[in-house]
Amino acid sequence: MTLEAANKELEKKYTKLVGTAASNMCAHCGWCMEACHVYLASHDPAMTPVAKAERIRRVYKKNHDWMSQLFPAWTGAKKLTEEELDKWVTLAYRDCTLCERCVVNCPMGVETPQLIAAARAALVAAGKAPEILTQLADMAISREENAELYKDFFLEQVKEIEKQLQEKLRDPEATIPIDKEGADILYVPLSGLHTILPEAILFNAAHESWTMSMFEASNYGVFLSDSAKSKRIAERIINEAKRLKVKEVVLTECGHAYTTLRWEAPKLFGEPLPFQVRSILEVLDEYVREKRINLDPSKNSEPVTYHDSCNLGRKGGLLEEPRRVINAVAQDFREMIPNRLQSFCCGGGGGLVAVAEWSDARILAGKPKADQIRKTGAKIVVTSCDNCRHQINELNEHYNLGITVTSLSELNVQALVIP
Amino acid sequence: MHTGFVHFAEYELQIIALAWLVVLYFIKIFQLRRLPMTQDIAPTKGSPVAGVLRSYTNIFIPWSMESAQKHRWRWAEFGAYHVGALISILNTFTTPFAPGMMTQQVRWVFAILIAPAFLLGFVKLARRISRPEMRLISTPDDYFALASVELFFFAGIMALLVDTSLWRTIYFLITAGFLFYVPFSKISHYVYFFFAAAITGRRYGVRGVRPQAGKAE
Repeated sequence: MTLEAANKELEKKYTKLVGTAASNMCAHCGWCMEACHVYLASHDPAMTPVAKAERIRRVYKKNHDWMSQLFPAWTGAKKLTEEELDKWVTLAYRDCTLCERCVVNCPMGVETPQLIAAARAALVAAGKAPEILTQLADMAISREENAELYKDFFLEQVKEIEKQLQEKLRDPEATIPIDKEGADILYVPLSGLHTILPEAILFNAAHESWTMSMFEASNYGVFLSDSAKSKRIAERIINEAKRLKVKEVVLTECGHAYTTLRWEAPKLFGEPLPFQVRSILEVLDEYVREKRINLDPSKNSEPVTYHDSCNLGRKGGLLEEPRRVINAVAQDFREMIPNRLQSFCCGGGGGLVAVAEWSDARILAGKPKADQIRKTGAKIVVTSCDNCRHQINELNEHYNLGITVTSLSELNVQALVIP
Repeated sequence: MHTGFVHFAEYELQIIALAWLVVLYFIKIFQLRRLPMTQDIAPTKGSPVAGVLRSYTNIFIPWSMESAQKHRWRWAEFGAYHVGALISILNTFTTPFAPGMMTQQVRWVFAILIAPAFLLGFVKLARRISRPEMRLISTPDDYFALASVELFFFAGIMALLVDTSLWRTIYFLITAGFLFYVPFSKISHYVYFFFAAAITGRRYGVRGVRPQAGKAE
């Protein structure tokens, strides 16, 4: 039964993109091997992108490739079995973080992460996805369904944060507006003070017309590759933005939340969204360029480096914005080598950071990133993704990097000149 | 060698084999085109056209891929191998259909361009056998494809340099066999390249990921 569901889902995911990635397009040349942080950290031949992709490709080939249908042994094609499906759990959710570094280093551009995502979807259909990811996705949905229950508690918390905001800005008029109809911006944070207070300080300092969402930006349906849940979670924010008639939705520093709402949601809903979607990085970049906030880079005198979240950079296109901002708010910005499109995944992407039982594998996979950070000599690591932040904090502890991990908004607040 | 058979191998057989290849490729493309596709429909950040062009030309820019940047030798090897393959394919058309073009000098130039590819085939084979990472991903098709291309290169060189009816016949028989096999093998990877590079390139272009004008990648 589970096998049948998995096979059915694999076929549902057989799009042009997956169809080409699953075809003879991969020439097995091995160019992608050293692009993968998991392979570089483990030196396990089974951890190369091509080896991982091949396990899924061979199942697709059995169903779609002429030679594989006639002589499966010739191409290594095989039917999906219960045993193999069980092995796919670690393959799809632990051993690949969907970072796409292999794609930009493949001469053919084989989209290995698309195959992994298809495997994830098959595992969801078979009921074999990591429970924690399912729970986190379900919690986000339940929060909307029970919004009234949460509202009072949420507003109470916001009032507390507002006090800190007023204190920091020395302005009793500073506010964190909720449910403000007609505001220009609907800001969507994550749960936690660190993605509310810094942004509230900056919005108030820039005299922005804004309101804050009741929901958090993260969308664990995406990590699951569960289209229905992804859509449902994204819909909460879309409905709120429509109800409040805002001009744009600004997402907090969260990699997958940005890629999901900015690029994937219109595809999920089959039409462009009726408002603009930006990351807070783009807003801060605009503030810096238009000098809407007064910043003093000497307040950030320690060496700073920036970690490109795979979702924001390689998948989202936000590569220069954070760099322009850091150069405006810090005195000593040092690039990791390589960076931008070639940046290494921190090791915690693709939802892996949430799965506690795989933390050893995650810390090992983060070794290339830890080495990169150490080489810069930076004392502060800025990253604009909460999952990356969590992972780099753990890398800091494990590999004794002696760094502080912060967000771009927090770095801005540090440099903010308050009259 | 019977001249009628030589003629058949050079002309009729080649046309049959090419027609076979084209028909099967058409079926493959038709099958791929029928699959659903969801493209980015959000407001663009960059240019989809620039992204597709960048994707098609990426391989010619060794500094754009870390894999090519770190291993320049492999990039050069990739280039030389594919130049040899292109010349070999060209030769299957020029020898029978444009014999006037195939002067002694042209034959030598073609042979000199194919020869490195032939030698590099052994390097590829050695790498596939010696590295555990390569062995793990290799199937009988990988070894057979590599060996058949080697045979195709070798016969091509011999037919170019030793212009006898025997070598020409051998060469064109091998070529025909090769053409019959290609649609079933990973040798057909180049057909998919044009599809995938367009899809991926468009996405990167739309999202402003690639090309990053004037920026190091």
